[in-house]
Formats: sequence, structure tokens, C-alpha cells
Amino acid sequence: MSTVVEQIEQQIAKLTSKAVKKNTGTIRTVADGVALVDGLSDVMYNEMVKFPGDAIGIALNLSADEVGCVVLGDVSQLKEGDEVQTTGKLLSVPVGRALLGRVVDALGRPIDGKGPIDAKEFFPVEKIAPGIMVRKSVSQPLFTGIMAIDSMIPIGRGQRELIIGDRGTGKTTICIDTIINQGRINKVGLASGDKNFRPVYSIYVAIGQKQSNVVRTIAALEAAGALEYTVVVAATAGDNPANQYIAPFAGASIGEWFMENGMDALIVYDDLSKHAVAYRQITLILKRPSGREAYPGDVFYLHSRLLERAARLDGKGSLTALPVIETQAGDVSAYIPTNVISITDGQIFLETDLFNQGIRPAVSVGLSVSRVGSSAQIKVTKQVGGKLKGELAQFRELAAFAQFGSDLDAKTKAQLERGSRIVELFKQPQLNPLAIEVQAAVLWALQKSYFDSIDIKSIVAAANSLKNYLTSRKDALLAKIRTKAALDAEIEGELKAAADEWKSTYTAK
Amino acid sequence: MRGDKKTKLLAKQLFKLSLANGQVSPEQVAGVLGYIEKTAPRNALSLLKLYQQAILTELAKSHARVEHAGPIAATTLAQIASALTKKYQRPVTATAQPNPQLLAGLRVRIGSDVYESSVAGQLTQLASSV
Repeated sequence: MSTVVEQIEQQIAKLTSKAVKKNTGTIRTVADGVALVDGLSDVMYNEMVKFPGDAIGIALNLSADEVGCVVLGDVSQLKEGDEVQTTGKLLSVPVGRALLGRVVDALGRPIDGKGPIDAKEFFPVEKIAPGIMVRKSVSQPLFTGIMAIDSMIPIGRGQRELIIGDRGTGKTTICIDTIINQGRINKVGLASGDKNFRPVYSIYVAIGQKQSNVVRTIAALEAAGALEYTVVVAATAGDNPANQYIAPFAGASIGEWFMENGMDALIVYDDLSKHAVAYRQITLILKRPSGREAYPGDVFYLHSRLLERAARLDGKGSLTALPVIETQAGDVSAYIPTNVISITDGQIFLETDLFNQGIRPAVSVGLSVSRVGSSAQIKVTKQVGGKLKGELAQFRELAAFAQFGSDLDAKTKAQLERGSRIVELFKQPQLNPLAIEVQAAVLWALQKSYFDSIDIKSIVAAANSLKNYLTSRKDALLAKIRTKAALDAEIEGELKAAADEWKSTYTAK
Repeated sequence: MRGDKKTKLLAKQLFKLSLANGQVSPEQVAGVLGYIEKTAPRNALSLLKLYQQAILTELAKSHARVEHAGPIAATTLAQIASALTKKYQRPVTATAQPNPQLLAGLRVRIGSDVYESSVAGQLTQLASSV
């Protein structure tokens, strides 16, 4: 009680009789989350404006006789003639560690019912991406925990890797697995006390998704213990298009704080197709000229300026971006997919056919690529998985031909057998990312033909058995692979002994 | 609807014709109105509304509306007018308008700028900061 009175007294003491200047305007029309305002002669582009009822807007269209503002919040209370005020501030969101483990809206306001966020700093939502001189090339790996990706399409810290595919092909699952893997690695790394360990904090931006899906994602992150290293920015399908438009930029600002402060962060934009649709809706209402598929002319710039904010900075941290794009019937040549493909440093293409065949994650090896390449791989992965992509590509080609003829030579048969085994080995259940050392050990076993005598249908079970054997009994060996990050003669010897022991027990069963 | 592109453009041109030395001139406005009456252009109503809006916006830039809660002296009004004339570098007139909701103090509106020095304004500020 007394503190409240003191607060009021302090505020009264601060009040002066000096006149306060405000720049105002009046609402002329409000429709679909966009208000056209007369006045506001001093307003800046992208400035926050205050509407009655604490609603906030952004000035997006500055024309000679009116200002077009998108309203972030409840527009139902606004009416013609209401007064609008400029704030002199660009739209900003709270940033910092205080947001970790929280679910916020597009303006950084908590929506998880866990109380207010004690953020000390604010970053503007729209920020110019880091320039050339401050950047550093991508050379540190970011492990997704998905064997098919980590071994064939490696992602580096500071990279932008697109995840593209039709609906229901496991795009979000890959992102969630990656976030869960970061949480797991962070826990192990921070517990080890290694001073050189750099944790990766994650930001998951849900754009235009069903609220039930977002709840499921949050529950999955919480169950896996990854939520404490994650910030969830949610602009669901029920939010107005302005919130959906601003959410990825708000997420990027939250991620940039980690990058600027010497930490590594991962941001998932799920998904940018819906983001483009929200932006199209806003621009059509703002009466901006529309182009191909009714998207505005600057839809490329919308995504390029967002994704350019992902970087690895010299002497600071990094921000890795995993944008998601949903295709229609596998059409990667549509407008938004081609735009984002050209902006990013590679893509992971997920195929419906593979998914339906039970190959999950349904990564299409031929169409997926990481332009950063092996520079973002640790030595052990290069040693065990360097040839995998080629072998798998050869297998796909041979498999297509093999359908036409029954007489195959021994070499082709062997290649087909091996390819089938690799495909089986890469099958991985969702929400179950694998540690890089386990991946390396399993791939080493594949390379050394430990799976060759096993029936193809039993490969998944055999691989699971090997993983269980290694994690439960050979913890020291796995720790050695993790710390050395390369296979030397000593580790190979130990791996061989372990694999022999596993094979004898497995075949005995 | 506020009229089509052509109407907007015509309204803008008519507005420009209504200015003399950067100020709205009553003679010019009368001339413009006479022209509209004589030629009866398409969408005359929308055109007149747009024209009126432009003139009102321009006039508001040279006119200060001084809202006050208590009595206000003519000299205070004159002081406000001269201070604003100096600030905006254009002749500004001031008229008083009683507004008891301010509780005490003044609120001056000129164009889209508002100078708030009232108790009501300070209370609003206090409420938003606590």
C-alpha cells in the first residue's frame, strides 16, 4: 500500500507545468486491422502510433493526405474520429535472457500466464542486417540431431537453411527436433563445465498456425526440457494479419540480442508462406499495387531483409535461421518458394511420397543441399558420412532402373542392398534427436559393414539396439568421440570392440 | 468513399488555386466555388468534400484552438498567438474554447500538433506511468 502511494508521490513530483507537445491525427476509416488516419504530420515510417484503448499501430503508408497504419491489437474498439498519437519510437520488443522459457506475442508481451517479463532492454523490430565487414564465414556446426541432415546436409551456426515441403511432411517436426537437440546439448555442455562450450538458444516463431498446434509444440518442448532455452513467439491464425506480419521480425530482434551479446541463437520461422499471405492481406488493404499472385512488389525484400539478419558476427555470436515454406503439391517453382530458396544458403526438401513410404524424416537427398557444405561439419562426421550422399544418390538412380529389369549384376545388387540399408538407417522417430557421437558410431558401424548381414526389414531395430547398447554401456567411448570430435586409431579400436560385442549379442538373439 | 483518382487530383489542383502567398485566400476560394458551380463536374459532392477537407486542414495550421478550464485573459490568447506565429513562421490566430474536462490549465491545438498543459492531461500521464 505504502509503496503504491510512494510511487504516486514520485510521479507527482516529476510532473511539471511545462506543456507537452503531441502530434495527433484522427481515424478516418478502420477496416481489417488497417486504419487510415488524417493528420499525424510528424509521423515517421514504421513509427509506433498510439490508438485509444492502448492499441498500438505501425505507420506503414505515409502519403500526402493520409497515413495508413496497421493496428496491432483489438480494432473492435476503434471508431471514426478517434484520436491517434505519435510516440516518436520505432516498434520495439523486449529482449534478453528473461524471455527464455516464455511464450510471447508479436509485441513481446507474455501470453503464457507466467507473469510479467522482467526485460531490461528493448530492440527495434525492424533493424538493418549486419554488414559485410562484421560478418565471419560459417564454420561451426549446429547439430539438428537428425542423422540424415547432420551427415549429408550439415547446418552451420549463422546459416539460413530452408525447410520446404508439402503439408504434413514433417517440416515442423524437424524444427522442433532441432530445438530439442539444442536443449539437450546445452544441458550436457553446461553441466560439463567446459569454458569453451557455447550454448545455442532457440526462438520458435509460429506464424498463422492453429493455436492447438502451438500448444502441442510448447508441450513437446517442455516435455523434452528444451523450453528453458527457448523463446516462443506466437502469432496464431486467430491474430490479426499485422501481428502475423510483425512476429518474425520481433523474433529476429530477440535472436539478435543473443548474437550481439556473444551468444549463439537459432530461430525457426514457421512458416514464411503464411507470413507472405498476411503481408499480402495488409498491402492489399493499404491499396499498394499488387504483382504476381497478388503479392506486393516488395515481398522478396520482406523475406530477404528478414533472413539477412541471420549471421555469424566476428568476435560476437551467431543467429542461425531455419525458415519453413509450405509448397502446394510439391511445386517448388511457385513465387514464394523460389524467392526464399534464392535467399537462403540451402534447403531441406521433404517429399510426400517418401513420407508415405514410411521414410521419415522424408528428406529428399537429391533436392536438398547445404551451400555451407562440409565446412560446418566436425571431422568425425566427415570421416563416417563423407560418401553417404553420393551413395544414396547412386542408389536412387539404380533403384529407378532396377524396376525395369530383373537380371542385375552383383555390383549393382550390392549397391542397391547398401542403399536400402542407408535409407533404413536414416529412419528416425520424431522428437528423438540423436547425439552427434551416437550418429557417428552408428554410421561407422554402417561403413564397416556391421549391418550388411542383417535383414533390411530389421535394420531399424538393429540400429536402435546398437544405439541403446552404446548409450547404456559405452558412455565413456561416446564422451571420447564427443570431446575429440574425430576418429583416431584408439577410438576406432574401441569402437570396433564395442561393435563386435554388440553384434555377437544381437545375432545371438 | 472519398472519390476516385481524378476527383482527388482535381480537388488537389483546386486547393492549390485557393492559396495566395501560401495562405488560404477567401477571394480565391470564392472563385473556385464559382467554377465548380458553373461547370458542375462529375462527382461534385465528393470533390467538394475533398476540397473542404484540404481547406480545413490548411486553415487549422494557421489557427490555434485554445481549450481552457478556467477563465482566460485576452492577453494570454494574444501571447499564445504570437508565440505560435514565431514558432510556425506563419500568421497564427487563436480562439478560446471552454473545456471543463481539463480541470485546470490549457490545451492548444494547431494543425495536428497538440500542446498539453492541463491537469487532466497530467493525470492521464500519471495513470499510464503507474
